[in-house]
Amino acid sequence: MKVQQTLARLRRELAIALAIAAKDVQVYYLAPPMIMFGLLLPFFMFFSFSVRRGLAPAESVARLLAITTFFTASSAGPVILPMERRTRTFERMLVAPVALISVLAGEAAVGMVFGAGVSILTLLLATIFLGVRSVSPVALIAAVLLASAAFSALGLLFASWPTSSATPVGSIMMPATLVRWPLMFVSGVFVPLEQMSQPLRAISYLSPLTYAQDLFDHLVMGRGLQPAALNWAALVAFLVIFIAATIWFHRVQRQRGY
Amino acid sequence: MAIAAIEAEELTRVYGSLRAVDGVSFTVEPGEIFGFLGPNGAGKTTTVRMLTTILTPTDGTARIFGHDIRRDSYGARLQFGVVPEESNVYLELSAWQNLLFSARLYRIPSHDARLRAERLLQLFGLWGRHQEKVQVFSRGMRRKVAIAMSLIHEPRLLFLDEPTSGLDVQSTRAIHELIRHLNQQGTTVFLTTHRMEEAQSLCTRIAIINRGRLATVDTPTKLRRTLQQLQAVEVQIDGLTKAEEEALQALPTVVRALRRGSALRLYTPEPVETIRELLRYADENGKKIAALETLQPSLEEVFLYLTEGIEGVTVGEQAVPQAAKLGSERGGKR
Repeated sequence: MKVQQTLARLRRELAIALAIAAKDVQVYYLAPPMIMFGLLLPFFMFFSFSVRRGLAPAESVARLLAITTFFTASSAGPVILPMERRTRTFERMLVAPVALISVLAGEAAVGMVFGAGVSILTLLLATIFLGVRSVSPVALIAAVLLASAAFSALGLLFASWPTSSATPVGSIMMPATLVRWPLMFVSGVFVPLEQMSQPLRAISYLSPLTYAQDLFDHLVMGRGLQPAALNWAALVAFLVIFIAATIWFHRVQRQRGY
Repeated sequence: MAIAAIEAEELTRVYGSLRAVDGVSFTVEPGEIFGFLGPNGAGKTTTVRMLTTILTPTDGTARIFGHDIRRDSYGARLQFGVVPEESNVYLELSAWQNLLFSARLYRIPSHDARLRAERLLQLFGLWGRHQEKVQVFSRGMRRKVAIAMSLIHEPRLLFLDEPTSGLDVQSTRAIHELIRHLNQQGTTVFLTTHRMEEAQSLCTRIAIINRGRLATVDTPTKLRRTLQQLQAVEVQIDGLTKAEEEALQALPTVVRALRRGSALRLYTPEPVETIRELLRYADENGKKIAALETLQPSLEEVFLYLTEGIEGVTVGEQAVPQAAKLGSERGGKR
């Protein structure tokens, strides 16, 4: 009986999280900050740093995947959450009979789908026009989904920093970009890990993007620096940490008041 | 005995050194329209945010139809709908989409959700425009959409935070009619407002809050009596002597007086009659009235009167006795 109740509750929570995600897709996918920070900026950065460096197609695709999953997925939270808080629509979800984690999962799903969608489209175009073939397409799509989920949770974490009042999108997005930008340089996206100095390389292991980049290297180029299993495990761990920290921030925020 | 719609017990919210809500206790019975009246910054919205589980109380608790907001927030949330002061609707979605999203938050089956959304939009006079994006709606229409969204799960209790704030007269009247209609259909309403006339025209009982403390919970009729005692006529008469001031204070309809600079404020339950007496006095004594105006009490004055009485009201040397406190419920448990 208890198991049935728990399952029913889980189904209910999942359905509400999906409803939140579907609503966000309708409301925010075409919002200018989403297009700017989530779609244009990753490609602009990729072309800025990759053109005329003579990268092989497979290597370019692995890097582009890392950039799009990272930047696109982590842009959703800093756009959606401040807008929801400013219009107080976030409170509509908080007063509904739904767990906070389901609300946050719904919000995170949007970034995940956005990041994964853009990345998979990139992958399709690369397959068609550049002839790049993955060593394991199914695993690659799973990796894109996992990395997008972790980075979307990171975006949500940025947006959930407790504040005394609702802050505009820019006030969240700018610091988030200031953190994300350096991460790109220490994560093996532009400079391979093996070419980094030892201290910089030690720092790189604190970045979730390092593991995503290495995993994409494995799955697109067939080689990576560290075991693929470690990359999978690290991304799952980062996802859990980001979600746990986000929930904690929201608990603090509820103590202080939204 | 029916379970109370709301039972607040010593609800307290502290921000640093500020006690935004300070040990507030009251009970709202099912079927009431309960007014929570107070000036801006009195603690009304903070109280609503605690009752609706958005904000954790520093101390105390409340039960919504028997569900404790701290221990069983999930159960409590099933009982109520909330309409904050700012209409929290998705401007990019249509009224129809907004209502269906709200229905999904409460897991209302799709067929029922559509029926309810149509019924609500018809009730609110929005059915003809239900496919239009809310961003083209007027403020009053947006407020109606927000209220409809909060009613989609047919809650037993509806929190309305300043529902007519910023609305024109026509929209205000329409919202008032809706509130009465909903209440007649059995919905308990908890209404916060800073407008006395709104609370008096809608509510079955009214609580007055200021600086985080509850001054009274009473019926509009009793509250009106209090307000009548706080009405005043302020008069400025050139060259008024102390003896003449005392004579004015002794006018039959004047209950007490207070000198305010060069003007004299005469508290009276019958301001029209007091004005007549003043005109007669000035005529008979050859005095010239430089200024004359009637004053309605501010919420602040009502609150002070209810909590402390009005002390030190003097004319010349003579002190006017402190106003008697009303024998009404005061911030304590019922």
